[in-house]
Amino acid sequence: MHGYLVFVGKRLLQLLAVIFFGVSATFLVTHLSPINPVEAALGRMTARSVSNPEAITAMRAALTELYGVNEPIWSQYINFWSRLVQGDFGPSLLAFPTPAMTLVMRALPWTVTLLTVATLITFAIGNVMGGLAGYNQNNRFLKAFGLVAIGIQPIPYYVVAFILLILFGFVWPILPISGGFAMNVTPGWNWPYISSVIQHATLPALSLVLVGFGGWFLGMRALVSNVVTEDYVTYAELAGVKRTTIVGSYVMRNALVPQLTALAMALGGVFSGTVITEQVFNYPGLGSLLIDAVNAGDYSLVLAVSSVSVTAVATAIFIVDLLYPILDPRVRAE
Amino acid sequence: MDRRSFLIGTTAIGALMVAGNGLALAQEAEGSAPDLAQFPRNETVIVHNPEGVIRNPGWFNLWANGGGGLSTGLQQLTADTFWYIDPDAGIPEASENAIYYSLAEGPWEYNDDFSEMTVRLRKGIMWSDGVEFTADDVVFTVEKQAATPGTGWYGAFSTQIESVTAEDPYTVHFKLKAPNSRFHTTFSVRWNAAWIMPKHVFEGVEDIVAFENNPPVSLGPYTLHSYDPNGTWYIWEKRPDWDKTTMALVGEPKPKYIIYRNNISTDNRLIEMRNGNLDMIHDLSPEGTFSIVQQDPDVQGWFPGFPYAHPDPTLPMAVFNLQNPKFQDKRVRWALTLMLDARAMSMASYRGAATLSAISIPPTGTHPRDYHAPLQDYLINFELDTGSRVIKPYDPDVGLQIAEMVRPQFGDQVPTDPEAIRNSFGYGWWKTDVQAAEELLTAAGFTKQGNQWMMPDGSPFTISVLVPQEGVINRLGVMIAQSWAQNGVQATAEVATDIWDRTGAGDFEVEIGWAVETYGGHPDLAFFLDSYHSSFVVEPGETQPGRNWMRWKDPRLDEIINKVRGIDFNDPKAIEYGHEFVKLHLEEMPNIPIMSYNVFSIQSNRFWTGWPNAENPYANPVTNWSNAKYIFTQISPVEGAS
Repeated sequence: MHGYLVFVGKRLLQLLAVIFFGVSATFLVTHLSPINPVEAALGRMTARSVSNPEAITAMRAALTELYGVNEPIWSQYINFWSRLVQGDFGPSLLAFPTPAMTLVMRALPWTVTLLTVATLITFAIGNVMGGLAGYNQNNRFLKAFGLVAIGIQPIPYYVVAFILLILFGFVWPILPISGGFAMNVTPGWNWPYISSVIQHATLPALSLVLVGFGGWFLGMRALVSNVVTEDYVTYAELAGVKRTTIVGSYVMRNALVPQLTALAMALGGVFSGTVITEQVFNYPGLGSLLIDAVNAGDYSLVLAVSSVSVTAVATAIFIVDLLYPILDPRVRAE
Repeated sequence: MDRRSFLIGTTAIGALMVAGNGLALAQEAEGSAPDLAQFPRNETVIVHNPEGVIRNPGWFNLWANGGGGLSTGLQQLTADTFWYIDPDAGIPEASENAIYYSLAEGPWEYNDDFSEMTVRLRKGIMWSDGVEFTADDVVFTVEKQAATPGTGWYGAFSTQIESVTAEDPYTVHFKLKAPNSRFHTTFSVRWNAAWIMPKHVFEGVEDIVAFENNPPVSLGPYTLHSYDPNGTWYIWEKRPDWDKTTMALVGEPKPKYIIYRNNISTDNRLIEMRNGNLDMIHDLSPEGTFSIVQQDPDVQGWFPGFPYAHPDPTLPMAVFNLQNPKFQDKRVRWALTLMLDARAMSMASYRGAATLSAISIPPTGTHPRDYHAPLQDYLINFELDTGSRVIKPYDPDVGLQIAEMVRPQFGDQVPTDPEAIRNSFGYGWWKTDVQAAEELLTAAGFTKQGNQWMMPDGSPFTISVLVPQEGVINRLGVMIAQSWAQNGVQATAEVATDIWDRTGAGDFEVEIGWAVETYGGHPDLAFFLDSYHSSFVVEPGETQPGRNWMRWKDPRLDEIINKVRGIDFNDPKAIEYGHEFVKLHLEEMPNIPIMSYNVFSIQSNRFWTGWPNAENPYANPVTNWSNAKYIFTQISPVEGAS
């Protein structure tokens, strides 16, 4: 037990270091961006208006002062960390003076819900079918399924998304193609709202599942193809163990460990959002928020989104590290 | 618990927690959703707003940049100010020379030297909460913003206004810090203007830069009904007392509800209109427009046939950085102009649906009447000395040639009447004349080694052409760079995300953008021209205030600007001075005007009809312009459609 606690402590320090360096790198990159938030805001406020040049100069000075971007970068860096340890990313410059984290928390649930569900479905379909295909290599249905997986997987995501959009939004318009829920429902714990959310998430989720399951399928099939040649599998078959038991308890279970690592990484990655899905289906989420923040030079918002993402991925890896000894007895023995 | 149960359990619980958390947070979001049954289509117009996701959807403070939407209906339906200037002709019986007197009962009244302005306000105009609009609101609007850095009109008010007083509840008097014959345009809507604040709402607010103003008290004919907590739609409802707003002077707005929807991708816009979920689309791609107008007989563009698009009073051009030594000789600028092919640029950018302009005024609204048509003879006879000979570079028939190029594809959709073609495709442009370009460069001291032009100092003539990431302007810029490269100039298109910053900072050689925007329906050019005065041009490295991005300085230009400053906005001499500007511009060619910014705005006649178009140009159909609100007084529901 003592050894495990030392292991956990080391990993925890690594986690904190990764988050610190990741967030610091993000700070540096955003502040090296050529996009000036003052000019971006000035553009939004004056580009289409009649404004004489003196007025624009006065506005520029006022916004620079207001946004605090005239301070040296090291001073901004220290201020940033001193705020961050209190959980404050500062005001968004895109939506000044609303806190950046407020905008993140508005978009985050949509992205996380959609991507978590889509990732888990994709993982389940891909791995179960991949495992079966790897074990039953002569099964015609599974062979056909493999062909479909191999056929869809390389298609660019946006092509699949557009095909779904046209099929189910125009040719056979049975699913909504825009937004997170319909205008005629009241957000809350009521069935019309929940069913509307599910309806609106169906096409985005389907597009992610269609493109995503092929990778899991191919990976699992390859892993299982190796495992089935192991002696213990042959021994189990000779011993007359049921095929379903062999594939479920011995083959797929052993092949699943690296897939679970990848799943943890994928679940951590859901916090980065998915830009194309949000664009194609007009779906709310973090991806387009990040793009807007970058284009507006909104340091605070970029840092808020990126920090959530860095923390999520690092934490996912940390959790996998902690779970390995539980999942794999060989690691525990080491 | 065995490992299998542990894995299954934790995965399931995790997924449920994440999903539940998402729903719970969404539930806590602001706003309430309506029942769609309340919105029968014969009472409801659905408008596409080109803004992306509104990141702070509950922000309705038009006077501070808080992340709320502007063209969500907020500025079109709830805001008001003294005057509106239509980019097209305006509704004849309600406007005068395309000017609507809105909160002001008549035109601006200046003193002799334009250092003071008096505005007489309409009586009986009510805010939506029943408070009367008076001069006190105007005084508050000016004084509060002038004293509050970070508000939208802080710069305009603090630098220009010495004092503002309410002489009585319906008369406002401005004293300016310096004479300015165009001061009234601060309160004249083109795309927007300085909107009047409700004093009774804002006077108790300590920090107006942090004030959401939710729900907004409206001075327009609609109030907020509901909005999407995710920032993609807004619903507005007609006020029962709409006749107490300035809209009543034009007519009753017909829709009971107007829904503005934003963040809709181009493809979704097409589908949504075909499915009956949009009546007005702000813009499509050229290809998308060609497709939907051919497939859906209910859909219309600005022109009844090709090129369909509405020409905005904005003029895309190749902007030279005149502080760069490469472009300081006008012969070089003219040489680069004559290397271009108008037909290639039109086809590359707009698939032929461009409205060309050889002069530095957009070919839109009433400008063809005031500038393009009267200057045709001048352009046809315009002579350019190449150093070897004198040429007449203008080709008045380029528009006709482009019409013939697209006719095989679009057939009857392409007009045949030369006048209609000129209105749609432009009056003409410069002939491609590589020989003359070579003569001009040679006269400027350039030499040619093989196919490469060398500058007088012996180094290769290279040009970086700054272009946006996508869209018609990107396509145009790439074609321009390609044309120059084919003719011996090492020109490359440089795609940049920070064009706005770099243009202002002068960090470019040639930028594809625009330095000219006008009112469109009114001939006055001061909207852009005043900023061309040499007193505003900054040194290299400093940020240039708009719109003279090329940093053009010329005493003759200053003289024209000073003459325009000395006359009233409506003085007919403004057109005469505008002609002088065009001629000086042609002589110097500080930038290369190419075409109007054509916006492929379309409308569906399935549920509503009576939209503006080139034959009845009573308003600008581009949905995010504030003056598009007048459209709602002119449309009517289609009988039987629901």
